[in-house]
Amino acid sequence: MSIITISSDSYEVGRKIAEKTAEILNYKCLGREILAKVAEKHGIPELKLARALDEVPSSFGLSAKLRDRYLAYIKAYVLNLLLEDNTVCYRLAAHLYLTNVSHVLKVGIISNPKELISRIASEKNISEEKAEKFIKKRKDQCRRTSLQVFHVDETDASRYDLVVNLGQIDKKRIIDIITETVSDRKFKPVTYSLNCMEDIEMENRVKAVILEHFSDIKVHAKRGTVVVETKAFKFKKEKKCNSIKEMAGKLPGVVNIEVHTSSYVSGN
Amino acid sequence: MAIITISRGSYSMGKEVAEKVSARLEYECISREVILEASKYYHIPEIKLSRAIHDAPSILNRISGGKQKYIAYILSAFADRVAKNNIVYHGLAGHLLLTDVKHVLKVRIIAGLDYRISIVAKRDNITRNEARVLLIRDDQERQKWTKRLYKTDPADSSLYDLVININKLTKDHAVDFICQAATCKELETTESSLQKVKDLALACRVKATFLEQGFDVSVTSDYGNILVYTKAGDRLMHKLQKIVKGLDGEIKGINNIEIHSGVTAPHSAV
Repeated sequence: MSIITISSDSYEVGRKIAEKTAEILNYKCLGREILAKVAEKHGIPELKLARALDEVPSSFGLSAKLRDRYLAYIKAYVLNLLLEDNTVCYRLAAHLYLTNVSHVLKVGIISNPKELISRIASEKNISEEKAEKFIKKRKDQCRRTSLQVFHVDETDASRYDLVVNLGQIDKKRIIDIITETVSDRKFKPVTYSLNCMEDIEMENRVKAVILEHFSDIKVHAKRGTVVVETKAFKFKKEKKCNSIKEMAGKLPGVVNIEVHTSSYVSGN
Repeated sequence: MAIITISRGSYSMGKEVAEKVSARLEYECISREVILEASKYYHIPEIKLSRAIHDAPSILNRISGGKQKYIAYILSAFADRVAKNNIVYHGLAGHLLLTDVKHVLKVRIIAGLDYRISIVAKRDNITRNEARVLLIRDDQERQKWTKRLYKTDPADSSLYDLVININKLTKDHAVDFICQAATCKELETTESSLQKVKDLALACRVKATFLEQGFDVSVTSDYGNILVYTKAGDRLMHKLQKIVKGLDGEIKGINNIEIHSGVTAPHSAV
């Protein structure tokens, strides 16, 4: 299934371009509205899911454990939908976790700076000078969040196939470029790229279940074989391994499970 | 009708893309020509100018202003060339000089390090490790050059209208994107935007003359009315006035020149 991810420094601009592109291509359009469904499925507030995507973990905000769990819920849900249909995806950070999937066209949109400043100034009822500072602060925060949460720099242009600045190029032209590019055979799914997506989806599905009970886990999946890395005290090792195997084993598509444990080191 | 500047990392296929774009749009493609013209006009060996635009200025260079002078010569030749319009320029700093000009499409072409390593290793018949070291050093040098002279990071995508990653996308994709974007209404040449380029060319030439005489100044031009901003005190003003008098016959297009001492130069000054 062809996938386009659109990332923008402005929610409105990203949404408009994503919706119009999806309409022209007759693709499904996925945005933050799906967080309500994820929240309902797992019985958690939608706001917390949005915070897991946007905020840097801090002692006053979401803990790293909760953030990892919420992100696994979101990723598993989004990936499952992406596997079903041709999709345009925006504001769900998909470009940050679909890094190795070849059929994803990753587009970054930079808003017209003047328009963005005046919009933020009028929305927040602040001066343009303050709006400019606010935008700069938000950009820094995005960068820090992407680095801490996904270990990639969202502002790095090499993370995208194409970055377009709306200062000089109009939206219609950008949509034309995106729609033409995605029809190229390089952005059509092949068996290998679909397998990659399925593996990432399985990793996150397994992770979401295990993180409800244990933290400190790493999950790798390849064609139904799941490897879970975790830490355990020697006397609890067997019990922990068995319960992880039991939890993951119930999930559809999981064929083999391996659990690798390493010991906790005091003070580390 | 536009000016297209293509900034590129080394071995990122920017040159090939620029040549294809210029062929399709029937624009003139320039890069090294700018250095040749500067070399001819200012009687400086080409190699010295090439080094100035490639290597970041050292502390000694910054004090003596040697490289700065050469860069001013190159920028002056560049601005003169782009004033003719319908140009595709590929190389360093084109986009930075023309930030405020409306009819300029600023493009950056990037490519993954692995891809570039393969090209360099094959071309120069060296190991992949050697190619990696060469490329990283080259990238760092370019980054330092831009940071020192323009206080910006060349990798900052907000400096460009289009950043194209030649990884999954091909050179032909890049050519298509650039040609499509170049026909945007926003990029149409207007009288005022063309005048801005002419003013830039004039300001660059004036700055180069001052640097030649050992004065680091900032210059703006508005329809040929030149403002020279300097930190030099009253003691040196008569020397600057002398240079100004000499400029009258030497450079065409100047209506009036004023020297402002102790005033901060505006952002648009060269």
